[in-house]
Amino acid sequence: MGSTDTTFTLLDHTADLGIVVTGADLRDLFEKAALSMMKIMIRKGPAGETASIRFSVSGEDYADLMVRWLGEILYLFEGEGLVMTHAKIDSISGFHIEATLKTVPFNPEEDEVLTEIKAVTYHRIQVVEKNGGWKTTVIFDL
Amino acid sequence: MAIDLQKLDDYRWLIPRTGAMRVPGLVFADQELKRSIEEDQSLTQVANVATLPGIVGHSLAMPDIHWGYGFPIGGVAAFDMADGIISPGGVGYDINCGCRLMTTRLHAHELRPLIREMVSALFREIPSGVGSTGAVHLSKSRQAEVAVKGAAWAVKNGFGSPSDLERTEDGGAMEGADPSVLSERTIKRGRNQLGTLGSGNHFLEIQVVDQILDEEKASCFGLFQGQVTLFIHSGSRGFGHQICDDFLKEMISATARGETTMALPDRQLACAPLGSDLARRYLSAMACAANYAWANRQILMHLTRETLLKALSIRPDELGMELLYDVCHNIAKKEQHLINGKEVLLCVHRKGATRALPPGHSLLPDRYRTVGQPVLIPGDMGTYSYVLAGAPGAMELSFGSCCHGAGRILSRTRAVKNAKGRAIHRELEDKGIFVQSRGKRTLKEEMPEAYKDVSRVVDVVHGAGLALKVARLRPLGVIKG
Repeated sequence: MGSTDTTFTLLDHTADLGIVVTGADLRDLFEKAALSMMKIMIRKGPAGETASIRFSVSGEDYADLMVRWLGEILYLFEGEGLVMTHAKIDSISGFHIEATLKTVPFNPEEDEVLTEIKAVTYHRIQVVEKNGGWKTTVIFDL
Repeated sequence: MAIDLQKLDDYRWLIPRTGAMRVPGLVFADQELKRSIEEDQSLTQVANVATLPGIVGHSLAMPDIHWGYGFPIGGVAAFDMADGIISPGGVGYDINCGCRLMTTRLHAHELRPLIREMVSALFREIPSGVGSTGAVHLSKSRQAEVAVKGAAWAVKNGFGSPSDLERTEDGGAMEGADPSVLSERTIKRGRNQLGTLGSGNHFLEIQVVDQILDEEKASCFGLFQGQVTLFIHSGSRGFGHQICDDFLKEMISATARGETTMALPDRQLACAPLGSDLARRYLSAMACAANYAWANRQILMHLTRETLLKALSIRPDELGMELLYDVCHNIAKKEQHLINGKEVLLCVHRKGATRALPPGHSLLPDRYRTVGQPVLIPGDMGTYSYVLAGAPGAMELSFGSCCHGAGRILSRTRAVKNAKGRAIHRELEDKGIFVQSRGKRTLKEEMPEAYKDVSRVVDVVHGAGLALKVARLRPLGVIKG
């Protein structure tokens, strides 16, 4: 089952917002990063009807993969009005992710938007091994 | 990387060319602003931009500069068309984020009891905030029309009048827009957002002309002391964000595939040679976004006019709302500039910087030709905005550019922390400013202390001769997303 732990720390950046996320392994890291981003964006009200989406994303390296992975999930909200509630990475092979997401339609009556994220940037993007696990730094354009 | 700033004069500081820099950096600032600029990494970013191929003159930093991603915000960089590059990060995610200022016949002292009501009416009628949808829903073919015709599309569809177009930068539409290069995602995101204000630091403000700083220029611009003005700050919404995102990723992939040989100090500086197909497609898409933003601000102006006419129960000739000018501050443009006595075509990137054409420039509308281009500088929420006029110094020193606003000094997290326990909207009300905002954290994140002192920023561009002060505007009411 995908990670529901949304531990992250906010990174101080003058114009925008950053997060630092750690995970036990790569899957844990990418799942947590996705949930952290959603937590910054939206306070979800009572859940609507859940749908399951399977998708894949590739990158040039782990940092590029992180930006594209989060960018896809951001697009689900910005372009399709879907709020991701759970992320499960089925596999990470090379710089390619296969994943299953649970989404709920955004409900303007019940859900509160905390922060509008325009884009996931490459600025200071980092995915590195640390203390036996993995760590990522991501900055969002607001 | 420690950056060594050398003072040239009271308003200009040089970053000497070192390492991989192809040109020096030039920072417009006074002693005080220089200190705050040195606190974040914006100077390193100015130096990084100077490493890009084909850069001409200097990598420039305006006095409101702050740390961005790749290019700093408040940065200007011009590239030779023959061997230079185009970089989406040098334009920004919010392509053609910009402002427009509208004048009216109204006097603020007559309206004071009605400001709260005007703010409420505007808050109700102007869509703002995250996920807001506009009154204009666009099919793919209509979006293509907006993307090519820009503000003219809006005028043709009943939003404003043809005379607004000559008072808009580029007549409200950049050439070269090609909707066929846009992704499906861009079309999807652009479908419902036309006629929306946005969120974050976007706003619509009711203001009073607080101080006339140049009588002759103010008169030419139609400004008078005590006059009510309206200020809109908004951009290309999700349509523009998606375009930047799509092309940045394509350029990063192209770089990784070895299609370009430059080593980038920051991936966010990903770019393409100006002669390449990728560059052509980005510029075409960027023009689409720019035109979408101009259509957006044209519609927002119309909605503002209609709302005020109803709220105040007055006739259009009594309101007398006119567009003073509309400028963009996130864009790349092909412009002719004098380099070593020769006219050269350059691709000028302005990210958080405004064009500032001097008196006599051929691109100015007749009514402003003797005075110079109106330059609109929004202050942060709760403090002054300024109107300036472009001056010859801008063409000599900064590729016809000047600052765009105040620039942040506090991060959003620190602003929220500092605002803890404070009711920002009440603090503003105590100052006579009524604010309505959709986002719960917006007011704290956007509070006045989070920004540099805009008056200081404007003093620098005036002192350096880039643009000259014309009038100071004070907010009376604000709506924010």
